Amino acid sequence: MSILLNRETRVLVQGITGRVGQAQTKWMLEYGTNIVAGVTPGKGGEEVAGVPVYNSAAQAVAERGAEASVFFVPPAAVKDASRETIDAGVRLIVVVTEHVPVHDAMEIKAYASGRDVQLLGPTSPGIITPGEAKMGIMPGNMFQPGRIGAISRSGTLAYEICVDLAAAGLGQSTAVGMGADPVPFTNLSELLRLFDADPDTDLVVIIGEVGGRQEEHAARFIASQMTKPVVAYIAGYSVPEGKRMGHAGAIVQGNMGTTKSKISAFQEAGVEVAEYPLDVVKLVQNKLG
Amino acid sequence: MKLYEFEAGGLFRQEGIPVPDFVVTDSPTQVRQATEKIGPPVVVKAQVLTGGRGLAGGVQVAESPEQAEEIARQILKSTIKGLPVSKVMVVKKAEVAREFYLGVTIDGLIGSPMVILSTAGGVSIEETAKTHPEMVVSNQIPILSGLSLPGAEKMTQKAGLDSDDSARIAEILHKLYHVFRKYDATIAEINPLVRTAKGEYLALDAKMEIDDSALFRHPDLSILPEDRIASPLEKKGRQIGVAYVELDGEVGIISTGAGLGMATMDIVSQRYRPANFLETGGGISEELLYQVMELIMQKQGLRAVFINLLGGINPIHEGARGIVRFLQEHPTNIPIVARVMGNRQEETRQILREGGVEVATEVATEKCVEHLFRRLEGGR
Repeated sequence: MSILLNRETRVLVQGITGRVGQAQTKWMLEYGTNIVAGVTPGKGGEEVAGVPVYNSAAQAVAERGAEASVFFVPPAAVKDASRETIDAGVRLIVVVTEHVPVHDAMEIKAYASGRDVQLLGPTSPGIITPGEAKMGIMPGNMFQPGRIGAISRSGTLAYEICVDLAAAGLGQSTAVGMGADPVPFTNLSELLRLFDADPDTDLVVIIGEVGGRQEEHAARFIASQMTKPVVAYIAGYSVPEGKRMGHAGAIVQGNMGTTKSKISAFQEAGVEVAEYPLDVVKLVQNKLG
Repeated sequence: MKLYEFEAGGLFRQEGIPVPDFVVTDSPTQVRQATEKIGPPVVVKAQVLTGGRGLAGGVQVAESPEQAEEIARQILKSTIKGLPVSKVMVVKKAEVAREFYLGVTIDGLIGSPMVILSTAGGVSIEETAKTHPEMVVSNQIPILSGLSLPGAEKMTQKAGLDSDDSARIAEILHKLYHVFRKYDATIAEINPLVRTAKGEYLALDAKMEIDDSALFRHPDLSILPEDRIASPLEKKGRQIGVAYVELDGEVGIISTGAGLGMATMDIVSQRYRPANFLETGGGISEELLYQVMELIMQKQGLRAVFINLLGGINPIHEGARGIVRFLQEHPTNIPIVARVMGNRQEETRQILREGGVEVATEVATEKCVEHLFRRLEGGR
């Protein structure tokens, strides 16, 4: 089993006719994802890799029963596309698009709040349930099926650690990329809650990085509510103050967003924190006995 | 992207926030002339994209036009936190009766704007929040409805302001929130907002940062982010479309992802100092990696390079050709070690080996960086 996505999930690809959308659609299909439709306004009636293209999410939902959507749409179009897709009744939206204006992200998050939909991103590398399906750009060969839940702010760092885990025989139930923007649609603690409730996840690995206070907030959730063991890694102890490190949200401002703050919050919550990526494997092995 | 005080002040004024008249110039003579016109005493303020100017001598009071000119000359020659000062602002010194702090920022966890009001102005809000939390009122604003004037008044009343202050400051707070929304700001701050001895309200400082991802919506700002990057190498990075951060160490780093790049920096930092952070992003091509090599090799005092290519479905083999072509055209003696994983990894490794790059074949980055350590410590 898994969270949010499995081989049956009926997936819609928005921005399917673009260069990235087309290429990623082929990779997702090859992996086994049940892609039922694509959307690009004005391109309804076309096909991409055998997938029918519609003009709107509402049409794709009505005609193909799409229930989850992955976005490869331009940043300026994400806000309207999100509203339209939420209104169409899709229950999961994965926004791979980078450089979404942060005011738009706030508006989207506010619009989604109280509605029955989960959003990942912006700048999400995607979500993958190994051996079943993937939405987004995560390379399938870096993940193996198993019972570890993985949550990552960064794509490449998720690959790094999941490959290390897989090499030790520790596959993943689902790996989720929450993105590293200043305002993620879904907070780390909400994803932890989903893994905590998943019968096929034994332990959750958090792959964090400098910036914001997602980890600090999640630590409180872990201490008070989480029943499963959690292991964490935080990248960026060598990052200087005031410099944005590639990701829009990866910035240390004064004492805020430092690895030190995150690590001590986790340690107070009883979460063991790996010093370097490979140490995650040892900590997971210790926890699982 | 940070705005200069005079730019933020200009936007504030356009939206009806009371900002005192000012002159901005790079000429000490003009500072003298402006002071003659405004009438001393004036304040001469360095225009730099960093906080803490006051402590660094970047804000000084002048009692005469001659003194203003002299202060301007001195400030224009100085650097503040490593940033050269190219412009100063001259403004009439206000007679301050009371100071306040007004700010709007983003709460990343809640995902909404946060409006902050403090009855202690002129000091950092972080400091006040720690020492006098009772003087700070903050409020998360539901972004879809926004901050209304009555909403702003509730805040000023909660802060315990008397009726005159309350009504006028609520109005300014309401306008500040409007500027924040209108220009896609991540921060909009007035510190301090003052009530003068004459009972006027004035924004004596203006701070604003605009979301880089939203600049496309504000062509009217006609501000190029490249123009405000002090490091020539960081400027070059932005031009070729990679995230490059200049650091003061000796090991150059290239990474195909941001998180991976930070982890690689951490690992290298066990024994050496990184010379840079560089993330290529997903658009890997031969040309891009050629330019990336050209960029990182320009750093003075570079002793080694570690390249972390975690390809996924990126064409890393094409990137490898760019790296090798650069090295053929610009032979170097410093060790270059690469870690390669992902799509077409064997082909990529072969291209790099033939180009004189040492390829580490272990799975984990830690193990691969050890190859670099060995090379730097004289082994093979």
